[in-house]
Amino acid sequence: MDSEVFEAREPALLDGLRKAWAIAGKDMRIYYLQPAVLIFGLVFPIAIFFAFMIGRDVQTASLFPGLIALTLFFSTTTVAPFSVPWERMNRTFERLLFAPVSLPMAVLGKVISAFLFGLAVSLVPLVLGLLFFGSHIQDYGALVLGIILGNLCLANMGMLISTVRADTPPKVMMVLNVVRLPLMFMSGIFLAIPTLPYWGRVIAWFSPVSYATDLLYKGLGFQDYFGIVISVLMLLAFTVVMYVASVLRMRTWNR
Amino acid sequence: MMEGSGAAVTANGLTKYYDSLLAVDHITFEIAHGEIFGFLGPNGAGKTSTIRMLMNLIRPSEGSAAILGMDTVRDSLAVKAQVGIVPEVSNIFPELSTLNNLTFTGALYGMGRRNRMARASELIDLFDLAEHQHRKAVELSMGLRRRLAIAMSIMHRPRIIFLDEPTSGLDVSSARAIRDTVRELNGEGVTFFLTTHNMDEANQLCRRIAVINRGRLIAVDTPERLKQAAAESQVVEAVFDRELEPAEVEELSGLEGCSQLLPEAGKYRMRTSDPARILQGLYPFMHRSGIKPVSINTLGPSLEDVFIRLTEGGKEAAGDG
Repeated sequence: MDSEVFEAREPALLDGLRKAWAIAGKDMRIYYLQPAVLIFGLVFPIAIFFAFMIGRDVQTASLFPGLIALTLFFSTTTVAPFSVPWERMNRTFERLLFAPVSLPMAVLGKVISAFLFGLAVSLVPLVLGLLFFGSHIQDYGALVLGIILGNLCLANMGMLISTVRADTPPKVMMVLNVVRLPLMFMSGIFLAIPTLPYWGRVIAWFSPVSYATDLLYKGLGFQDYFGIVISVLMLLAFTVVMYVASVLRMRTWNR
Repeated sequence: MMEGSGAAVTANGLTKYYDSLLAVDHITFEIAHGEIFGFLGPNGAGKTSTIRMLMNLIRPSEGSAAILGMDTVRDSLAVKAQVGIVPEVSNIFPELSTLNNLTFTGALYGMGRRNRMARASELIDLFDLAEHQHRKAVELSMGLRRRLAIAMSIMHRPRIIFLDEPTSGLDVSSARAIRDTVRELNGEGVTFFLTTHNMDEANQLCRRIAVINRGRLIAVDTPERLKQAAAESQVVEAVFDRELEPAEVEELSGLEGCSQLLPEAGKYRMRTSDPARILQGLYPFMHRSGIKPVSINTLGPSLEDVFIRLTEGGKEAAGDG
């Protein structure tokens, strides 16, 4: 690549990132406090978690990796499946396409807003666990990677699900829950992956949530299953595949 | 590149198939810099598909288009940076305030914070939106939302604006305000591509008009020349001092040069290609019948006549075919 081309591309990339950030900012302003986002992204996972965990004879601190993983999973995957069909229904998504914003940057903007929402929400149970329920961090690297890469990967999963052909948010949310509910049980959220039966451990390989959950267990001092390197690589791979698939799916919308 | 091509917009054999349905059929036209170009056609004629191809929201199946000399597919982002668009169905963000809709639009066009705040403030004044600037768009009236949509479309000072049914559903004063804005912006050199069902609006605003029907461009000319082409649609309208008897109506309809008589609410409208011949026979008729005229007017063909003639011709041709 000669230097002239490189110089021409750099501002275009920065310009694209600024526009992606503007889209993320707009989404934060509009969608973070929407009742549907709060219910499906915050209330729902906490309610499900306690429905499954209350009464089980386990240490309270051992519940927190699963709780953090579940809130991270649900909160991060809720934003785009609500906002994208909402904007398609109101035709406001089209406004993004009228502007000189490339589709990859428009998708990135949506991913950033979901990522930040998931990040904020998943920090709540972490802080509560650390302050009041005896959780303690054993491996800061694993914990940070689990939260950051898990959020990033699952934000892309939400984005990909939001590209299904459906004209209203409830229809996309229905598809979302069809995907989320089975994943919730096969990703080590309620039972750590090492404690799952053999077939459960095999299935866990196919869920991106498993790798985020595994890093959280490791970070909070519990036994992990995949190891940090595999978890990080798998989360990155899922992230790239789902991001590219989202962009390609959106390209087909108006062809 | 750019202005060197001489045309602001060029469509060259632009064609769109949706599966086997031919929505736009090899249309070719050019729009000059600073022109207001009307694009008329009945519902489903291919207007929206044409605009969407020009904006690269959908890919042409065949043909190409250029805006300011830039290919709409290859240079899509550069084209979009120079174009503003106001769709028929509002796509402003209902949850954002007037001010935030404007500043967000500015951010999408890469305007810096200070620049977009200043421009938003300027447009709020220009479009008389100051008292509504902090209200959410969902709370605005239809006329105000339309004004906001146009303000958003010019936030980045585009050189070409696509306006889809700009005054549809608006009251008279809002519609007039929008037409005045179009004239003002056009006076500053902005080129307009205007689709409308309002013939009067097209007649008032457009330098040239293209008529599209069943995906095919069937006429492109000035409103006056298009009307000349429908010369047989001229009308002599007479109002008399009393209602005519049936025999008199029959005699009137038989006047030389009258192709059709349309009595309506005391008015007698005679369709003709030669009003002078009608008038030659009309005075002797009134004299014989002892009738006095209250008013006699000759009316040229309206753009609506032209539109109906052209588009119904298309239907017949399609039906024949």
